[in-house]
Amino acid sequence: MLERSGLETDIPSKIVKDWIPFVAAPAVIAGCAVPGFANTYLTVEQAQQAIFPGASFDQLNITLTPDQQKNIESRSGVRVRSRALKVWKVSGGGWFIVDEVLGKHEYITYALGLNASGSVRQIEILDYRETYGYEVREASWRQQFVGKTSQAPLKLDGDVRNISGATLSSRHITEGVKRLLATYEVALR
Amino acid sequence: MKSRCGELRRARPFLGTIVEITVRSDREQVAKEAIDRAFAAISVVQRQMSFHDADSALSRVNAEAFPRPVQVDRKTFRVLALARDLHRVSGGIFDPTIAPYLEQTGFLPEFLGGLRTTEKITSFADVELLSGNRVRFRHAGVRLDLGGIAKGFAVDEAVAVLRAAGVDSALVNAGGDLRAFGSSSFPIGIRNPCYPGRTFVSLLVKNRALATSAHYFADRLKPGARIGPFVDPRLRRLRGDLLSATVAAPSATIADALTKIVMLDPAHCSTLLNRLAAAALVFDPNGSTFCTPNWHETFKAAA
Repeated sequence: MLERSGLETDIPSKIVKDWIPFVAAPAVIAGCAVPGFANTYLTVEQAQQAIFPGASFDQLNITLTPDQQKNIESRSGVRVRSRALKVWKVSGGGWFIVDEVLGKHEYITYALGLNASGSVRQIEILDYRETYGYEVREASWRQQFVGKTSQAPLKLDGDVRNISGATLSSRHITEGVKRLLATYEVALR
Repeated sequence: MKSRCGELRRARPFLGTIVEITVRSDREQVAKEAIDRAFAAISVVQRQMSFHDADSALSRVNAEAFPRPVQVDRKTFRVLALARDLHRVSGGIFDPTIAPYLEQTGFLPEFLGGLRTTEKITSFADVELLSGNRVRFRHAGVRLDLGGIAKGFAVDEAVAVLRAAGVDSALVNAGGDLRAFGSSSFPIGIRNPCYPGRTFVSLLVKNRALATSAHYFADRLKPGARIGPFVDPRLRRLRGDLLSATVAAPSATIADALTKIVMLDPAHCSTLLNRLAAAALVFDPNGSTFCTPNWHETFKAAA
């Protein structure tokens, strides 16, 4: 059965017997001072071209009325934090919306592309920031790294952008998209 | 040549997490198209293997695979076959039939039609994999959740697409289940489960998969609780002996599944890790760290 599923791989020469204490080199441990992390993936313009290649975009100046806000909240079950919309009409049909969601530990800016029919075409994360409350309190401890990042061999957030173990939820984006689809029905359609 | 390689990074929400793809290639258009196709491959896995989506192949199996078999797509069947093998070689520790128990403890939404009794203990041995990609349950009440393996599989699928597209190197990271391939290495931070805002150690990962399971974000699911969704299938109890387990393996599917096995049975998993060419790093409840003897030869530290 192992052969069929491809589970069998090359057996390493050393046998894993027991757990041994893990001691990281001091320089590596110093690298643990990652103050959350921030990732920027796309600018608004890049996201527009990624979702609607070759199209042109016409930004609309829309502010939701209190009635529209209530309507969107009751349709989606999600709170509307900002009544000002960042929305573009796409040449050839469709909509491009930039939105922000705030989680317990993270702050995400994303773009939603809607087809002319109002269905979801694509979602792209523009910007993702992780924040932790206690890190603010540890600001003085972080001071020791100020000014060292450019030449020091420390791998700070700029380098270590990828984290294993970040089981980050996309739940807030799901809620945001739900809210934007209701916004489309109420204010754009 | 390598210095002319541009890097492109994209992130989209999939599989209940944020999936990030980094591609290094000297041809930007090739990289862009490769990333689009890789995300498409991930969305296929999401569509077929989601426990939460009532239209997925997995949900059809859960709703209809008793008494008659249900036919599924080739990929879902492949993941089920892998799950069966992992169930066997782990002595029953890896068991995707724990879904009803997770529902009871609140980690998964209750299945449409309400919760069936879990008094009859089910295991993956109650799942029959038949010819023609068909799946059948031996009795009612069995339910599968591929959450412990599908994310890793999605990463492997995306990597296969990127490799076929001919990019120089790439990294696919699905909320901590990640895999790097190609000529360059990628710095990866391992979180300290005691302080999730900090990484504990940095690794350079090259042509390898890495997955981490931990308890640090479980409080999002159950307020105040510091337990992760790890269920010992033999006891049907939530376990939380280790704070986190990171596994390095040749494929993300295997790494993903092995983190669950290491979390549940750290004392007896070494033979299996070894057999699957895997290395592991764990945090015990005191925050002390241990690794398998092959860990250091697997990685060079990033600093």
